[in-house]
Amino acid sequence: MDALVCVLLGIGVCVSLLLFWWFNSRADRRARQLLRAVLTHEQYHQLSKQGYIDIHSPSDPQRVYRVPQAHGRVQLLENEKLQASLCLQPFDWVPDADFVVIHKLMIEADEETYLLKANRIAPINTSRIIW
Amino acid sequence: MGMLRIISNRGDDRRLWNEQDALAGDTEAIAALHEVERIFAQERARGATAFRVDPGKPVERLGQFDPQATQIIMVPRVVGG
Repeated sequence: MDALVCVLLGIGVCVSLLLFWWFNSRADRRARQLLRAVLTHEQYHQLSKQGYIDIHSPSDPQRVYRVPQAHGRVQLLENEKLQASLCLQPFDWVPDADFVVIHKLMIEADEETYLLKANRIAPINTSRIIW
Repeated sequence: MGMLRIISNRGDDRRLWNEQDALAGDTEAIAALHEVERIFAQERARGATAFRVDPGKPVERLGQFDPQATQIIMVPRVVGG
């Protein structure tokens, strides 16, 4: 009887893991499709090659937002110098590819709100070498 | 033909509508359009932001549903981390 319970529990765990894997891989696949549809050819190429995309500010030609391909902080660059790291994330979890889409849409269409909502972290002094 | 894409933990949920068919009186198209409008309003009420993403045009934030858009992407509520 104990053995049967153990087998059933094992099967239950395996099925749960399979369902979890299937659910996440399906979500990732759909998110990547959306990302491909939203990014320009140049942005998609940059993301594949460098692991981030640079989004130019609609309001300031000197300002660039560097968005990583996975959840993380967005770097705010002005004249190619790091001004701040920005932290903004969806309230609920979304796949990594959707994270990029969210930042791109908000920066390009509603930069003011984006900057208001994002937490701004000043860069640490990079001139000091830490061993 | 328009597409509403709602970003979620499932990737994105998609809904289609056809404004021309709805204007021509097609009952299924009218029902689909109403359903998309309802979902749009529901997501907005939850704090989502809508963006009109048409090929070759700048992305535009939408305050209300536009049946003439070819693609609307709804972004869930975001918070500063």
